Amino acid sequence: MYRNKALAIFTAVVVLSLVLAACAPPTPEKVEVTKIVEVTKEVPVQVVVTPTPKPEAKELTVYHWWTAGGERQAMDVIFKHFNAANPDIKIVDNPIPGGGGIALKTVMQGMLAAKMPPDTFQSLSGSELKMYVDGGFLEPIDDIWAANNCDTKYPAVIGKMVTFNGKKYGMPMNAHRANWLFYNVKLFNELGLKPPTDVDELIAAAKTIKEKKPDVYPIGLGSRDKWTAIFLFDVVLLSEGGPDVYEKFYTGQLDAATDPTIKAAMEKYAALVPYLYPYHGAKIWSDIPPLLGEGKIGMYVLGDFSAAQLVQAGYKEGTDWEAVAFPQKPEEVFLMIVDTFTRPVGIKHPDANKAWLNNLADPDTQAEFNIIKGSIAIHADVPATTYPDDLHRRASAAFKGKRIVPASAHGALAPQAFLSDWQDILTRFLYAPDVTRLQSETAQVMKTYDVAKNSEWYWAK
Amino acid sequence: MRYNRVHIVLFLAPILIIVLVLCGMIAWTGAVSMDNWVGMAPVWQFNGLQNYATLFRMERFWSALQNNLIWMVAFIIPSAALGLLLAYGLTLSGRAESLFRPLFLYPLALSFVVTGTLWAWLYDPDAGVINNILKSVGLGDLGQPWISSPRQATFCLIGAAIWQYTGFAMTLYLAAIRDIPSEIFEAAKVDGASDIQIFRHVVVPNVTQATLVTIAMLTVFTLKVFDLVWVITFGGPGTSTEVLGFFMYVATYRQAFIGLGAAISVIILILAIAVVVPYAWWSMKRLQT
Repeated sequence: MYRNKALAIFTAVVVLSLVLAACAPPTPEKVEVTKIVEVTKEVPVQVVVTPTPKPEAKELTVYHWWTAGGERQAMDVIFKHFNAANPDIKIVDNPIPGGGGIALKTVMQGMLAAKMPPDTFQSLSGSELKMYVDGGFLEPIDDIWAANNCDTKYPAVIGKMVTFNGKKYGMPMNAHRANWLFYNVKLFNELGLKPPTDVDELIAAAKTIKEKKPDVYPIGLGSRDKWTAIFLFDVVLLSEGGPDVYEKFYTGQLDAATDPTIKAAMEKYAALVPYLYPYHGAKIWSDIPPLLGEGKIGMYVLGDFSAAQLVQAGYKEGTDWEAVAFPQKPEEVFLMIVDTFTRPVGIKHPDANKAWLNNLADPDTQAEFNIIKGSIAIHADVPATTYPDDLHRRASAAFKGKRIVPASAHGALAPQAFLSDWQDILTRFLYAPDVTRLQSETAQVMKTYDVAKNSEWYWAK
Repeated sequence: MRYNRVHIVLFLAPILIIVLVLCGMIAWTGAVSMDNWVGMAPVWQFNGLQNYATLFRMERFWSALQNNLIWMVAFIIPSAALGLLLAYGLTLSGRAESLFRPLFLYPLALSFVVTGTLWAWLYDPDAGVINNILKSVGLGDLGQPWISSPRQATFCLIGAAIWQYTGFAMTLYLAAIRDIPSEIFEAAKVDGASDIQIFRHVVVPNVTQATLVTIAMLTVFTLKVFDLVWVITFGGPGTSTEVLGFFMYVATYRQAFIGLGAAISVIILILAIAVVVPYAWWSMKRLQT
């Protein structure tokens, strides 16, 4: 009995001491060196020399969501350029799958609240970036911005998308164009159709397809993702109201319940419903491009990232499919989604962060990265001829020549909280197109989430 | 060997720590649910029951709650009933039981994400397995829009969950049937009772304990269901398949309404307690008698 008790106490003490030892802070390494120093009076003096602390291993913890085919390889290009310029810094890669960073955002919320920030993480610019800034989790990167002449090398709107309270908080490095209309070339040739340039022509083309080819669904959509419903609405709004109305709508400057242009756009959106792929609720965005290639659907509206799906499935640009900027009336714009990387507060390796952000601003890194990623470089020194395919050459030319408008989807323009409800409202509308209800619901959520106040940053001078 | 106080401390400490952490987290969630916390950084601004009042005014909350209730009825009863029938069938099947039992249990070993992806393919109205099978046997007219229809989608999700959880109910019932003394079966057989009569008059009245456990466990599952909804429909079409768990995730992580999200968590907890505690109490009482 006593032996058992003694054994138990002994075990407990050992376990406890191990635990305590593990919890204790590491003892700083201190070496005492005794040295005899000869002075005139020959008095021995003891000098204690503390060696300089060992420099902490140089590393860079990166969190990002580029995990899909193509994206991963594109990220590796950034790593390659970074390693070439900074051979002494080890990259600790933390990819978090989830398109548009939905899962990464959840992970970041936890890490930042726990004060365990990575050395840098990915965010979309605009209102998503603002969420982190408002939380006090990010430090300005004005030093990197100025050192790389970003004000002259990047379009002004790009700077605006990362500027909050007069300071820059993110380093952008690529731009996706959201307003492409993809169409099946063989079908259009067979029916003698021209690519639509505005929403009325889109409806007319859809009508023709439905009449002449009843087994082809005119407009493809994968609304299981929900945000695709916003992509479609956005081009309708741009076609009806132009870029000024678009920017005002998504920043809460217009009353959705009464504004006639918004109502007209909603009516046109409703007019598209009969021509949509009927099973859109069961499909995600990436299911749609192959259907266009197969000839099951005639057209769809999505960003340039969907071109990769067509190419991977073996469909050729120009002969099987083609894409045009949409709408082209009243004004062709570049509807833009921008990825950025950040500098969180309290990071362990500020120098590595600096090197990382500088690398992103490098035109060579941007050029090589964007060819693989399927987006375009934002740096003025990267020419349109860099890209191997026509779609991205045209995107790059439009980026330099047309008006750039931040896309609402994914949270660049309107606040996240509003967008989450907005995509639900729009997908519900596709099943029960009631314009009056859409108007009042939209106005209601705009008020609930105070879109006007939360978008003041966009109009700040 | 006798156990003494040291043993008690040593063996109970881990579970005590876990319970304390759990209670701490529940208390923290409760506190957050009464705060005006919007955005990523903590905002400790007490606002009483304001978050709950906001929730009760939201149509979305009621539709999510309604879906949870649909789940309770349309998922628990069929799963438990099918589980019992399968368990009795296996008991009757003799040697074949060892072959069929793992087969029915297999879905339980899959993660919800795998089940979800699998069933999303099956339910795809255009290229999916179910509609294509119907088409190939000349019953194409019976094809349904499945998960792309706001009316059918929740029931499609429930179908996938029943497929996954019937094996679980079956295992519980199988153990309960084994516990019935064989003399009762033999006596019934001697009296000339058929298999159906034995099921009705011997098996059903003797597996009440297993029914209690099954229903309690399945209820907890329906209250926290999230993964299947996320993978198969993402709450859609529109918000038609949203459940409380899904709504909580959206409010907390996508919209950054942390206080509101915490309030939904507390409601889920209260619902779970309201269902499970009376069951546990009742079954404990029966056990004692």
